[in-house]
Amino acid sequence: MQQYIIRRLIGAVFVIFLTGTFIFFMLRLLPGDPAAASLGLDAGSISPEALEQRNAKLGLDKALHTQYFNWLWDTVRLDLGRPFSKEGVTVWYEIGRSLPYSIELSVLILIVGFSVAIPIGLLSAIFQDRWVDYVLRTLAILALAAPVFWTAAIATLAVLQWELFTIDVIAQPHFWEDPGAALTWYLIPMLAGGFAGTAATMRLLRSQMLEVLRQDYVRTARAKGLRESMVIMRHALRNALVPVLTVMGVTLATIIGSQVILENMFNIPGIGNKIISAFFGRDYPVVQAVVLLIAVFVVVTNFVVDILYGIIDPRIRFS
Amino acid sequence: MSERTYWERMRRRRLSRRGLLSASARAGVGAAGLALVGCGDDDDDDAPAVVAQTQQQTAQQQQMAQQQAQVVEQQEQQTAQQQAMQQQDQQQAAQQDAQQQAIQQQAMVSEKQYGGSIIEQSANVYETWDPQRTVASPVLQVLARIQSKLLRFENPNSGELSGDLAETWETPDATTIVLNLQSGVTWHNYGPGASNPAAAAGRALTTEDIVWNIDRQRNKTLADGTETGDFGRSAYWGGLDTIDQGDGSVTLNLSEPDATYVQGLANEFNLFNQPELVSANEDRHTEIDPSRVIGTGPFILTRWDPGEGISCVRNPDFFGSPERPYLDSYVWVQTFQDPNAYRIAFEQKQVDSMTDPDPNTILAIHDDRMDETYLTFQGVANTVAIFTPSNKPPWNDLRLTRAIDLAVNRRQLIQQLHNGFGKVSGPVSWMQDAWAISQEDMETIPGYRIDKDADIEEARALWNAAGGPDIGQIDWVTSELWAARAAWSATPGIIAEMFNRAFDTDQFNGITKPYLEIIPSWLAHDFDPFFSWIPNIEIPDARADMIGAFTTGAGSNYWDISDPYIDETLLAAKQELDYETAFQMIRDVQDYVLERGQYGRSICYNYIFPAIRYNYNHPQLFSPEEGWNFLDTSLQAHEQWIDAGDPSIAGRNAPSPVPL
Repeated sequence: MQQYIIRRLIGAVFVIFLTGTFIFFMLRLLPGDPAAASLGLDAGSISPEALEQRNAKLGLDKALHTQYFNWLWDTVRLDLGRPFSKEGVTVWYEIGRSLPYSIELSVLILIVGFSVAIPIGLLSAIFQDRWVDYVLRTLAILALAAPVFWTAAIATLAVLQWELFTIDVIAQPHFWEDPGAALTWYLIPMLAGGFAGTAATMRLLRSQMLEVLRQDYVRTARAKGLRESMVIMRHALRNALVPVLTVMGVTLATIIGSQVILENMFNIPGIGNKIISAFFGRDYPVVQAVVLLIAVFVVVTNFVVDILYGIIDPRIRFS
Repeated sequence: MSERTYWERMRRRRLSRRGLLSASARAGVGAAGLALVGCGDDDDDDAPAVVAQTQQQTAQQQQMAQQQAQVVEQQEQQTAQQQAMQQQDQQQAAQQDAQQQAIQQQAMVSEKQYGGSIIEQSANVYETWDPQRTVASPVLQVLARIQSKLLRFENPNSGELSGDLAETWETPDATTIVLNLQSGVTWHNYGPGASNPAAAAGRALTTEDIVWNIDRQRNKTLADGTETGDFGRSAYWGGLDTIDQGDGSVTLNLSEPDATYVQGLANEFNLFNQPELVSANEDRHTEIDPSRVIGTGPFILTRWDPGEGISCVRNPDFFGSPERPYLDSYVWVQTFQDPNAYRIAFEQKQVDSMTDPDPNTILAIHDDRMDETYLTFQGVANTVAIFTPSNKPPWNDLRLTRAIDLAVNRRQLIQQLHNGFGKVSGPVSWMQDAWAISQEDMETIPGYRIDKDADIEEARALWNAAGGPDIGQIDWVTSELWAARAAWSATPGIIAEMFNRAFDTDQFNGITKPYLEIIPSWLAHDFDPFFSWIPNIEIPDARADMIGAFTTGAGSNYWDISDPYIDETLLAAKQELDYETAFQMIRDVQDYVLERGQYGRSICYNYIFPAIRYNYNHPQLFSPEEGWNFLDTSLQAHEQWIDAGDPSIAGRNAPSPVPL
């Protein structure tokens, strides 16, 4: 087991290193002038002296390989640097401010996803090949097919048109600060994001339920005279949920990185919002740090899952 | 299903005229080929003659078909151009209607009211808190509320001036400007800046303060004696020979007569810092912190967190009080990365105005909220231009330079890149309204003609006569910063295609380069042809820009233009105090350079951003286009107000400023 963990660990570190290196060089291949962008310029009024000074200050006047090794060494020491676009703060500070918003939205999206996917997956399995099943599966496919930005934009227009409630895109409250305002602010993104993720979970749960419902122990439970609801909830659902929970765990790791569109549409200052503004501002340290952070999060989650699989099923660790 | 639809579509699709001609030509060639094959062995002796005849016929058919196709293509181009023109006319009509509505909106309320707070979106990045060391206008959007200049524009469109720190001013002769300072002006006595230990808060403004600010810039030195190149207005202040201090007055003695100098005092960059506070913080001038800024302006800075929020509140000791300012505060909220968020903020009245790179969003919102909003159209002072290096071969043949100038399809670029929101600019931008050639006159000037075919015909003749086809591949550069914007990313291809089409060639190739490469080569007078913005227009008087660009050895004359007629006329215009005479001189020079392809400095256009505001929000508006995208900031600091009685104010969700 120890060898297995070490092997997986080396692999994880290698993946993180490759991701970081890839993003480092890709950023520098993109058009756009980080020095000019960091000065807030969108026009030509800039002197070459100012640009040179700025480049020297940002460390962009050094050779590319020097910049790379400096970045690598700093990253190993967990020093993510300072943003190009803001003086007096570190990238860690910026991430620390953004991450809670992204986690809040991720959790809400997962809650919505679970709350919708589990009942309809369950109903769909129970009423297999009947009209309820067809309707629910059609809805799930629709949710999967509709792009999340489209759903969110349509919902926003509806709220604006009928003046349903205030979406406070300026105050940006956390749930623990002002739950009411936070709820109305997060409502559309969490529903849009949640529904979009529902279909896959619902379909997985349905197939798992159908498989479990045909198992001997379910037949035995029914033969014992248990109520159908008891059979479904206690014996079938519990077992069907195991692979669903695994999938949801992995989804949580990727969901933060995939919230870019929703965070921007609703001015949620999370990681997704940060990476977009940093990207357009050619703020290399912030983009590098956020991408690396997401990579670490995904790799660690997968690593933990792999280890758990290894513990649960010895065949995996020896294969 | 999709296949059936596809075939149905194919069956029903109408064949275009060009397609028909092209197909006919192909069929003709095919038939001729078949005839050739079929006739091949019949008579070996006659075969060459038949082949030759058939080939000739085929060639003739092809030629005719090509000619017909060209005619059709030209017709289509003309139609497209006419449609574009119509669309532009419609947009202009819509613009005029909206402008009329905006002016009426202003006129409806005769009495300005006091109180309230204006909420706007802030910029994301501010590179310094020192207005004298900034190169970007976002800094001025904030500081023009906090600090003062010697003079300010009462009407930026006409160039009309009013006093700011100077109550009155006189120009006894062409080289002397006497500024009589306002009495009772004090530096801010409240707010984070006033709490800074270095600040002499509440102190009276002195003539020494004025001289300190000017000397710092013209000597390019910091308080510790260090020289720095980042004082952007050092060349302007370098035009002073001496400064004399009197009792409450400052006299500026110019080194040479300059009728444009007075307007420069109202340039939005020429704000005045408090010497003690700035001297103590000069080494941290890029670290944005409200405690490093005080001024003498109508508002006091209370918060400055870039990308998050900024606020300022009324200065109770402002020398304009009790009359000015009208507002209690300004609040700038964080930057919206996405139009959806901005739209929510505007439609739910969390901000009082909105602009968007996509004009359609603004127009759509206005359509939905016609009763409670109005549109304004703001020209962007960064003129867009195409630069050809006429100071080096092969472009030093002015026929080529003129061919390029003629071939630039300015109206097409406005249409393709800015949804039709923009107006063509000559050597003097349309935004310098008092000095520019009128849009009507521009329609018949070569290079700007509505009849673009005439321009193209002339351009093509010049290009061919000057040996343009022999130049080989021409890489036309677009700045990466420009092309990095999603809406403008296709620009390099558009530019290349525009020239290739005009000269019927494939020589032009669109590429991008960073400013870091473009600007130094431009300043070194050794640049490749490029398309980009040029630096901001800073004052309405166009003479300074014309002198800078076209006179021998001038700072912005990157084309090494040296023409005695231009030098003499512009120098005379600079010293001319009579507007009509000076205008005619500038007009003459414009016509002169236009005939010479603008010497490679092919000014194209200034684009326009529509903005939408609620009816209760009243900035000072004068004319259809409020062209000065930052030149009017000081004016608005004094004159903007909120109509609390307007019905549109209902349901406003405005955040509060950070108090004093």
